[in-house]
Amino acid sequence: MTEIVMPRLTDSMEEGTIIAWLKEDGDEVAVGDELVEIETDKASMVYEADAAGTLSISVPAGETREIGVPIATVGEPGETGGSSNGAPPAAEPETAAPEAGEAKADRPAAAADVGADGDAAAAREPEGRTAAVATADGGRIKASPLARRMAADTGVDLGGMRGSGPGGRIIKVDVEAAASGGQSAAPAAPAPAEGGRGETETVELTRTQRTIARRMAESKATVPHFYLRTEVRMDRAIAVRAAFKERGDGAPSLNDFVVKATARALREFPRANGSYRDDAFELHSRVNVGIAVATEDALIVPVVADADRRSLPEIAAESRRLAERVRSGEITPPELAGGTFTVSNLGMFGVRGFDAVINPGQAGILAVGEAVERPVAEDGELTVGRVMEMTLACDHRILYGADGARFLAAIKAGLEEPGLLA
Amino acid sequence: MTPEKTAEAEPVTAEETAGAAGRGSADGAGEVPVLRMREALRDAMAEEMRRDESVFLMGEDVGVFQGAFKVTEGLLDEFGEKRVRDTPISENTIVGAGVGAAMAGLRPIVELMTVNFSLLALDQIINHAAAIPYMFNGHVRVPMVVRMPGGGGHQLGPTHSHSFEALYLQIPGLLVACPSTPADGKALLKAAIRDQNPVIFIEHESLYGVKGEVPEGDRIQRFGEAAIRREGTDVTIVGVLKMAHVAEQAAETLAAEHGISAEVIDPRTLRPLDLDTILESVRKTNRAVIVEEGWPHGGGGANLSTLITEQAFDWLDAPIQRVTGADVHMPYSRRMEQAAIPHEENVVEAVLAATEGAR
Repeated sequence: MTEIVMPRLTDSMEEGTIIAWLKEDGDEVAVGDELVEIETDKASMVYEADAAGTLSISVPAGETREIGVPIATVGEPGETGGSSNGAPPAAEPETAAPEAGEAKADRPAAAADVGADGDAAAAREPEGRTAAVATADGGRIKASPLARRMAADTGVDLGGMRGSGPGGRIIKVDVEAAASGGQSAAPAAPAPAEGGRGETETVELTRTQRTIARRMAESKATVPHFYLRTEVRMDRAIAVRAAFKERGDGAPSLNDFVVKATARALREFPRANGSYRDDAFELHSRVNVGIAVATEDALIVPVVADADRRSLPEIAAESRRLAERVRSGEITPPELAGGTFTVSNLGMFGVRGFDAVINPGQAGILAVGEAVERPVAEDGELTVGRVMEMTLACDHRILYGADGARFLAAIKAGLEEPGLLA
Repeated sequence: MTPEKTAEAEPVTAEETAGAAGRGSADGAGEVPVLRMREALRDAMAEEMRRDESVFLMGEDVGVFQGAFKVTEGLLDEFGEKRVRDTPISENTIVGAGVGAAMAGLRPIVELMTVNFSLLALDQIINHAAAIPYMFNGHVRVPMVVRMPGGGGHQLGPTHSHSFEALYLQIPGLLVACPSTPADGKALLKAAIRDQNPVIFIEHESLYGVKGEVPEGDRIQRFGEAAIRREGTDVTIVGVLKMAHVAEQAAETLAAEHGISAEVIDPRTLRPLDLDTILESVRKTNRAVIVEEGWPHGGGGANLSTLITEQAFDWLDAPIQRVTGADVHMPYSRRMEQAAIPHEENVVEAVLAATEGAR
């Protein structure tokens, strides 16, 4: 009997949510079979079986568990579920079998809630409790014998009640609460709060949103940010881009130029490519530039690895590929890992300039605005040029003012003279 | 040999008990004496043998060697070779001879060195001792007590570590006792010796040294009366022999660390079983955890769990949990053996599972 525990699928993952079981309880599984889809802090992933046998699911879809917590077992047919291999005494949790049987029924309800497409508009049930809704999962209400008797005695309707027992089983405390008028009948819809701000809809966060919230707050609270601003004349870069466009598809975007110029500058300024950690600078030998990509309601940062070694067209192709994978939801944790610096561009939204938040573990982040036509002064003459604002946020524990300024100047130089990027 | 049954004797006084076969530590007049289990059992046998000439003892090393576990220490000296008989290593014959003696009117106490060796005597126990009263329509009785210790934990390996409570409680015609305290040991053994039925008296190798208060006097503990070792409200924990002690320890931990109030019940006899006390407790707590040292499948817990479900279904707020020995042959390796036997943590875990959602 092999125990399947919540796997550590990303290096920052602490817990995972089961999106769906791809095999049913009782199915025979072979090594390599896709078993379960799990949402991590970064992306959803499919976990494959590494043992063959009969699958016995102990945690249903929709539930969240910490890594290392058992979620199923794979064993010989006929082996009792719940006991691990041989020696330890069998503390037989009889909940394993009935819960596994209900897991299938619970899946339709849970799958609709998990936002792989980022749709968090619909109100979700609280995580960790599968509501024992009467009709949604095939008509069977999970309630202990005692709860049923108490419900019958007190006239409480079990249908639509939320259970506190394992697997959402309705137990005595639930019926007691209902009998004293404590529970609302429909578990799914949160009560709207009336007041001066009108009705409030409470939207539960997806895993990704929670991660973003946590990391951004952490960064702002612990990293001493300071900001360096500059303006870049993008006329030459725009001309180079036009030349590429004439030759065919796949021309680098202005952001690709920024990534290339940044990568080159990172190679020249190791502290900008490093991390401050535990009273030491960690200087990384590879230059992996993250590109912030906005999805419907999340921010994902895929990484262009070894950006300093890639040519402009190569960076263009890679950034396009990564952005496509983010938007289709196919992005995988390895593609999101290992970034040493981040570039964030809001120019396409008409933003002139902004200050970004440093990704915890990096030394800085470059915020890029729109390259706009503006009057500029050149050698005492007034003319029109394409000007783009860049703001470099630095972690003052590793990247100080002068260094940061020189680093920013190097990026600017690469953008204003694209020949330097060859 | 047709000894007459002696009349009911007067209650034995403390001095007589003290003089005969040695004494455990007594704390003086007015205080309840504290004895070890082996001493309490010995006292039970000595008192009954003094009371009733038809009571005699047979087994391997019970006489000259003073008992493999020293339970029969001093008995040969007091009662002589005719009533304390050392036997060859021949379990089936020892029990068979006991059956015959009992049928003929004596009251044999047959000591088997451990329950493991009772396997060699199963035919005599099941097909003879248990069945003869039925086959003879009650005209012949078999008032024999078979005493033997069971249990594991001493690295004696797969063939010397069995817990066979479940096996014996299955058999109609047998009574089964499983004392966990010296007081119960003495009082149940006296009752067993006086009973007209064949009694399987299961002791535990790890409990012979356990001390406990043993009230003086001719106390008899009736079979079929469970002891509530600890009162509680959140869950009922049931266990016999060493597991009764494990259950009590778990209850302490549950109260101290988890705020859970556990009621601990020690049935003391498995046949007859005091199911009423257990059911009354489950009706109060709505949850049950059964802890047993034997194997899970077809074990005593499986049977008890079904009885509770059948008779207290509407009071159950959670499925009944069992904590059992592992479904393996007892390992020799110390760590593996300990992993194969239920401990306090396992019981705590089971209680936490049973109370999930309700805490």
